[in-house]
Amino acid sequence: MKKNLQKIGFLLLALCLVICAVSCNGKQEAPAATTAAEGESAPQSPLIGDPSEEYYMVTFFSGIDFWKQCFEGFEDAAELYGVTPRYDGAPEYELNNAITVLEQIIAKNPRGIAVTCMNPDAYVEPINKAIEKGITVVTFDSDAPLSKRYANLSTGNYYGGVLAARQMAKFLGEKGEVGVVGVPGQLNLEQRTNGFLDTIKNEYPNMKVVQVVNGNAEEMKGAEVTASLIQAWPNMKGVYACNANMGIGVGSAVEEAKKTDDIYVVSFDVDPGLIAGIDDGTIDACIAQGAWNMGFWSMQCLYLVEHDLVSPVQGWREKGVNPLPPYFDTGVSVVTKENVDAFRR
Amino acid sequence: MNTVKKSGFSLNLIKQTLTGFREGTVIIIIIAVGAILSFLTPHFLTTDNLRTTAIGLSADGIVAIGMTIALVSGGFDLSVGSILGLTSVSTASMFSLGINIWPAMLLGLLVALVVGLINGLLIGKIGINPFITTLATMSIARGAAYVITRGSPISIKDCPDCFRFLGRGDFIGLPFIVMVFVIFAIFGDVMMRRSAPIRKVFYTGSNEKAAILSGINTTRVKIGVFLLTALLAGIAGILSVARFGVATPTQGTSTEMRVISAAVIGGASLSGGEGSILGTVLGVILLNVINNALVLLNISVYWQSLISGVILITAVTIDHVTHQRKLNKVITAEEAE
Repeated sequence: MKKNLQKIGFLLLALCLVICAVSCNGKQEAPAATTAAEGESAPQSPLIGDPSEEYYMVTFFSGIDFWKQCFEGFEDAAELYGVTPRYDGAPEYELNNAITVLEQIIAKNPRGIAVTCMNPDAYVEPINKAIEKGITVVTFDSDAPLSKRYANLSTGNYYGGVLAARQMAKFLGEKGEVGVVGVPGQLNLEQRTNGFLDTIKNEYPNMKVVQVVNGNAEEMKGAEVTASLIQAWPNMKGVYACNANMGIGVGSAVEEAKKTDDIYVVSFDVDPGLIAGIDDGTIDACIAQGAWNMGFWSMQCLYLVEHDLVSPVQGWREKGVNPLPPYFDTGVSVVTKENVDAFRR
Repeated sequence: MNTVKKSGFSLNLIKQTLTGFREGTVIIIIIAVGAILSFLTPHFLTTDNLRTTAIGLSADGIVAIGMTIALVSGGFDLSVGSILGLTSVSTASMFSLGINIWPAMLLGLLVALVVGLINGLLIGKIGINPFITTLATMSIARGAAYVITRGSPISIKDCPDCFRFLGRGDFIGLPFIVMVFVIFAIFGDVMMRRSAPIRKVFYTGSNEKAAILSGINTTRVKIGVFLLTALLAGIAGILSVARFGVATPTQGTSTEMRVISAAVIGGASLSGGEGSILGTVLGVILLNVINNALVLLNISVYWQSLISGVILITAVTIDHVTHQRKLNKVITAEEAE
């Protein structure tokens, strides 16, 4: 029995190593370097990096599609410079794991980190520690504004809400009742809601927001509250959802109530599910975030700072001056049936 | 049976001691994984990395101590993760209402004990199955955390530094949170091997009917066990909120599965009566070293959950097979008489 225990123990170990080896040979291979050969006289451009330089994108809830879009931008920029991009994060929406993964990556001493912060306060210390170690850090999407991060690259959420309201007005001919499915207490979603509410109030006097409900950022809850909205407000002509998951839920609820032709659905974000919704008519418009932009410009910031290629002020490091603009608005686009093909991936 | 050389030091003796018990196997696996990791990447054996990994596993570790005792008693507690979250959220919420952080902390622990008492009474006194009971209290406690926070995190930014020290301070060079875990683990392990009340937990878990017949108040034992798991989960919650300076309603999600996996890897049996804190601690270390490996070796995030699940199922299978063989041995021994 002892021998069997030992055998099984080593089998387990071997299994882990096989899995490691298999996944290590996976997609994250460094792009080929285009470094000049030793001894050539032409000076090398500082824009040619080395594949041994690693830049990390760190997320929470790491399996969702949105980060994939961000990482595609990150990878494209890394390819321009010939450096190695890496993606990591905690698979759950849980703070302890998210911070532990971030700190373990910091301990690896990469050249730069682009991180999205599950919570603005809890990330301040790890980010500052990384910067003290000499790692360049930017935040994208969700920020930790009290930290020493060089820049935040994210969506102007309020303006996204404004565009959503204008698109909804276009669909409704500038009159009618609409509902909003948001998440109170989550800052970025509140901003998207506020942009929508203010625009309807200020620009479209013949339109009215009848109710704002909590979809808890998930599909099932979003569908549930939309079904209630449809029952409570029989004249409602449109519903606006503040993120992708809730958008899918809203679309399903409208379809199940057989009101796809009567109720317009506008959702924030774009993902394969929402694109399918636009194709079959359950979703009428999406407000796509500049996810690729977030990744692409994050890498730009990290590389240029790491290689000392930005100097708005001489000796900015010693003087403690931030060489980067503190905020990049990565923009939003309105996606409808007319231009949806451009957003397929 | 291996013969043991009576004279002097023998490699055979070391080998037999190490592999002779479950903890030994886990130690060997940890050393092997660590050795291979340090060969594959220079970042494993650095102070920063080991320190970070140790801090990351301390909260789970404290909860795992309680879970071991619950498993030994023949039950388990699925609500520990939710209790962790509820305690941290209650403490932060009371602090934000103006109560001083230290009484707020004690009240938070009281909340944890209330949930533990509910578990203990339903399972110990009324006799409902621990799976359903703790599954329900898991939802109730998590739900209560959402109700208190209305979905948003609560910050304790203005609290005195000495409270934050609990979660992120260093004491004689070691992180305080790790020291708390180590002290609890040592104390727990010694108690499990020596103390009479804990022995009653073992008897209750091995054979409840026999325990009752020999005069043990198994109801009281079970209530005590669930109070203890809740208290330890609550302490982990306090240390978490001290560490991050913020309480989120999702704190502690999936803790119960990781912690049960760690205990089973370390030798606790799902059928009760067996387990040691040392084994559980080794299980926690192994699981966290593997998670660390996944990050250090740049293994795709999509593999992480899968690998954790594979490890759990392997451990549970070993546990089941070992248990079967032990049972068969006992039966064969009885038949031989």
